[in-house]
Amino acid sequence: MMRSFFYNGKNLNRNSLGILAAACAAFLLLFCVAPYVVSAAAQTPAEWERLSAEKSLGNPNAPIKMIVYDDYECPVCGELYEQTLRPLIDDYVASGKVYLIHRDFPLTIHLYSRQAARWVNAAARIGKFEAVERAIFDNQMAWSEYGTENPKGIIKPIVQSALTPAEFKRVERLMQGCESNSQSEIKGCLVDAGIQRDLAEGELLPVRATPTIVISAHGQQYPPMTGAISWPILRQFFDQLLSQK
Amino acid sequence: MLLIGRLGLAVIFLLAAYGKLRPQNAVPWTLASLKITPATLGLSMTFFAMQVDSYQLLPARMVSPFAHSLPWVELALGVLLLTGFALRYVSLASALLVALFYGVVIRSYALHLAINCGCFGPNEKLDSWTLVRDGCMFALGVAVTIAAFIVHRRSGPALAASPHSEHAT
Repeated sequence: MMRSFFYNGKNLNRNSLGILAAACAAFLLLFCVAPYVVSAAAQTPAEWERLSAEKSLGNPNAPIKMIVYDDYECPVCGELYEQTLRPLIDDYVASGKVYLIHRDFPLTIHLYSRQAARWVNAAARIGKFEAVERAIFDNQMAWSEYGTENPKGIIKPIVQSALTPAEFKRVERLMQGCESNSQSEIKGCLVDAGIQRDLAEGELLPVRATPTIVISAHGQQYPPMTGAISWPILRQFFDQLLSQK
Repeated sequence: MLLIGRLGLAVIFLLAAYGKLRPQNAVPWTLASLKITPATLGLSMTFFAMQVDSYQLLPARMVSPFAHSLPWVELALGVLLLTGFALRYVSLASALLVALFYGVVIRSYALHLAINCGCFGPNEKLDSWTLVRDGCMFALGVAVTIAAFIVHRRSGPALAASPHSEHAT
């Protein structure tokens, strides 16, 4: 069949070659060039630069800014937090090299991620974001639907353990009207507004999955990275960014 | 057919290499931002290392050497395919590399890893579309390899003995 279509035994069939060339060109255009054009169009909005100071760690004037879109119930987000963000916070954030911005992106496929985000947002309003976020991630296996411990979805005692009684009372007050595990915005739940804003910004990016990381340095923003990245590799990238003028 | 096939494969490899070596911070996209300079090269390859790392396939100590060498291997294969030098072996190596990519993409898709492909540059979601594209590339690699061997065999012992025989394809 190949012989008859492309090659008649002596000469190449010009018409068939033309069709093949057009097919190859279409293939290249579709699979290799199109992604650049699509990606360029998707990268134009600079909306994600707005910071949420309540849920950020470090010096806002740090040379590197890193935004993390997280879902508290997503196992990869937990892995990223424990293995990468914790050493990052203890080292590069503490030393003023990196400004770490947390944004909530609770996925509707997770039953309790929105509720966890509400607790963290409430804690952030009293300046206790870091402690509660750490407690939520440290105990992810205790409350998430993927967890091995029961009961699932019970986040309150974990938040309580990370705060003083007075702080917890303030957080509880902010959580009034937010008791439901509803995955959509609850009217009357004060902290949901912040989550909605983060979600809207994430959708502009667009965040396709969690965790999604956006790094910017020297006034330039890098494309979003999705998935878990190990600390040694991330640190190597940061060191190169820091060595640049 | 072989000529078009190998040129197509060459362009794919060259685009893949360029996508990894070009500055990754092209936000917003400008023509000037696509220029590769020594200053941007190290950052681009480390950025690619983060994408390789997100596949969760290689141990941390191997991620960086792999990510720093792959774009150059792709570039070399692309140039060799363009020139047609040692076509049988180069096309075989290309097909094997594409097969490796295809296998890795299938694995990641099966594991529901929500990551970027990193195949032709950043911000490229790994999804069913990637599977189809890499499947086409794998088919093209296999077809070019088979064709290169068939043409070499048909060209006969006299031509095969010539050092330039594979340029004739």
